[in-house]
Amino acid sequence: MKETFTPTKLALIGMICCLLFVSALFAGCTQSTTTSLATATPTAAPVTPAPTPVVVATTAAPTTVATTATPKPSFTPSENNIVVYTAASLTGASNTIGSSFNKAYPSTTVSFDLDGTQALKTQIENGAYADNFISASNSYTNTLNNEGYFVAGSVQPLATNYIIVILPPANTANIQSLADLAKPGVKIAMEQKAVPAGTASLAVIANLANDTLSQSWANATMSNVVTYETSEPAVAAKVALGEVDAGFVYQSTATAAPSGTYTTLTIPQKDNYLQTYTIAVLKGSKNQAAAAEFEQFMLSSAGQQILAQYGFSAP
Amino acid sequence: MIPDRFRLRNYRQKVTYLAAGILIAAVTLYLALPIVALFLRMTPGLFFATLNNPDVVSALWLSLFTTCITLTIVVLVGTPFAYFHSRYSYPGKMIVDTLIDLPLVLPPAVAGVALLVLWGRVGILGMYLNMYGITIAFTTLAVIMAQIFVASPFYLRQAKSLFEQLDPAYEQTARTLGASSLRILTRVTVPMTAGGLISGAVMTFGRALGEFGATIMFAGNLPGVTQTMPLAVYVGMEGTNINVGLTISILLVIISFGIMIAVRLIQRQEAKHA
Amino acid sequence: MLEAVIVKKLRDYTLDLELSVKAGEVTVLMGVNGSGKSTTLNIIAGLLIPDTASITLNNECLFKSTDNIDIPAEDRRIGYVLQNSAVFPHMSVRDNIAFGLRARHLPRQVIAERVAYWTEHMHIADLIGVKAGNLSGGQKQRVALARALAIEPALLMLDEPFTGLDADSTKVVKDLVREFVKKLQIPCITVTHRVVDSADIGDFACVLCQGKKEWEGHSGEIPELCSVCHCT
Repeated sequence: MKETFTPTKLALIGMICCLLFVSALFAGCTQSTTTSLATATPTAAPVTPAPTPVVVATTAAPTTVATTATPKPSFTPSENNIVVYTAASLTGASNTIGSSFNKAYPSTTVSFDLDGTQALKTQIENGAYADNFISASNSYTNTLNNEGYFVAGSVQPLATNYIIVILPPANTANIQSLADLAKPGVKIAMEQKAVPAGTASLAVIANLANDTLSQSWANATMSNVVTYETSEPAVAAKVALGEVDAGFVYQSTATAAPSGTYTTLTIPQKDNYLQTYTIAVLKGSKNQAAAAEFEQFMLSSAGQQILAQYGFSAP
Repeated sequence: MIPDRFRLRNYRQKVTYLAAGILIAAVTLYLALPIVALFLRMTPGLFFATLNNPDVVSALWLSLFTTCITLTIVVLVGTPFAYFHSRYSYPGKMIVDTLIDLPLVLPPAVAGVALLVLWGRVGILGMYLNMYGITIAFTTLAVIMAQIFVASPFYLRQAKSLFEQLDPAYEQTARTLGASSLRILTRVTVPMTAGGLISGAVMTFGRALGEFGATIMFAGNLPGVTQTMPLAVYVGMEGTNINVGLTISILLVIISFGIMIAVRLIQRQEAKHA
Repeated sequence: MLEAVIVKKLRDYTLDLELSVKAGEVTVLMGVNGSGKSTTLNIIAGLLIPDTASITLNNECLFKSTDNIDIPAEDRRIGYVLQNSAVFPHMSVRDNIAFGLRARHLPRQVIAERVAYWTEHMHIADLIGVKAGNLSGGQKQRVALARALAIEPALLMLDEPFTGLDADSTKVVKDLVREFVKKLQIPCITVTHRVVDSADIGDFACVLCQGKKEWEGHSGEIPELCSVCHCT
């Protein structure tokens, strides 16, 4: 062959160019190498999407090296829209909140990204964009705060919630009291322990075991759990369908549901777990003013009224 | 150095090859880099240590167990089904054809809901089973049923199309020689389409192994019973046990690669003997 | 002795003919493409169902529409070599020839004997273990012939057996067919569109046009096809 450039050589040149280009992307965009695994975590990517977020805003880049500096924005915020990462238990309330806020502040619309608080936290730590964060768990809020994601002073308690046990209206398992949860053959749904409602439910069971019911009751109840769902509304759904005999959810879920959806079993307040919801503004928000307005709205009587309507208690 | 007469003629060729090189590299990198990143995230020491975690072990066994059963059922039932479906016409054949494709476009979560509403404890059929004490939801059986529902189209479509394309002369000859339908299926049809059937089976295996949405909806999430590897990854990555999530992800990658390589080897053996 | 009266409405015309072949004789079925030759064979073999027909082989009725008799293709004991031989490419020569015998659950000894007999007489004994897919056209044809004859059929049918064969292989196949049809004293129908082949292999010939028999007679006297068929 008299030619200097054979097809193979050209193809190789093409590949090398591509590699160089990508390496340049790598070098330019990343700042730190991998640190401890506890803080720098890739976003969970379910192989097939689970039932979840209303608006999805996750990391777009294929590389999963996280930075500990300013989170990388994953979609362009528009001037007239704020993104609120919200604990899933506020799903029912979110539409009302959104439209009320828009009425009060016509220039801004609200997009809610609803998911288990633990999933939202992971996403934020991996650079997902949000203006506000509503958390169902103090510990997740504290973690993110210590990692420097929130505007100083913007972390405020928003509402509280207690745990309640709901039963399907037919109650074929004939559960009349908390003690009945330990009966053999009863099927219980609970949240996964990383979900704030899950931690709360476990704490409630532990409290009850130490107080009026016994440890053997707690053990039997735990062995009656047939599924650990990844969000609180998923537990409520399983109970509503009648597929399980009981589920641990927030009081707000029971209060806000149309009457007749569930039968409820209240847990004595002294044994219950007070879940505090917090709201905060993220440092990485491009709409600081609007985000602050939203927080104010939620803390004001207007926002609090909506939350009460959906069964949340005052902070 | 390059003779003049080559220069102009080969310019377009060069551009083509350059473009080809870039495209191939781009696609390869896009697919390979996330996998590479997964491995870079873990140290080998941590990986092997996490392999001993009971959640990892139980998820691994559960996934392999359920997926193997799913594959067996799909192949054993699906092959004769695809055979009859492709060879005979019957009333409603077009509807059945569409149904085979349905799980491919149906969101897995919807499949899960549908299975739950049918087979659940208060489900349309499930409530009768429940009277005899048989419950399906939240059991390992539910995992298998969910996998079969979402993954079987991969095999059925492949088998059906292979059988349709097979020259009927072979089966006709076999018939005149006195062979029964079963003999024709097992000695003629299947061996002649084996390569394609295997690749269909591999896709089925892969899809069943990765099944998430229908599983969590219909079977729930209980370690050791219904928490398959994809569920364990999702749960692990949600903040408490990232190492578990990463380790299982890497395991899934290794298993997938292993299967693909094994299949390629089998197909190469087949080609050599043909 | 094969006697067949067949009527079947096809897409462009109606197949309507009467065929009679004596034991030990080869009848050649000729015609342009699409005249119904292969369809006729398929109907006799039982792979296709005619509208009305009466087919008897050695006084046994294979199909009679008026009496609702329809013996399935598997049981008609007809050796049928389809176009392009259709040897099972993934099986060895031995397994190909033994296929029909195994399907009939004959004892292993008998199968071995017949395989040995036919591979020797078809001159393919040295290829007995070779995968049929690796054989040449002529070799495949002989394997198909052996496979069809091994089941000791009452009728042998060949559909375009010379396509793709070179001159030598063609001669070999012709000789083998004539030899064994005579030896086994079975009737044989061969379909071909080449006049030159029919004279070599057949005793009698029929020409089909649009499903009707337009001419029949001794194979040495076959007229030019288009003169009989008014084809354009």
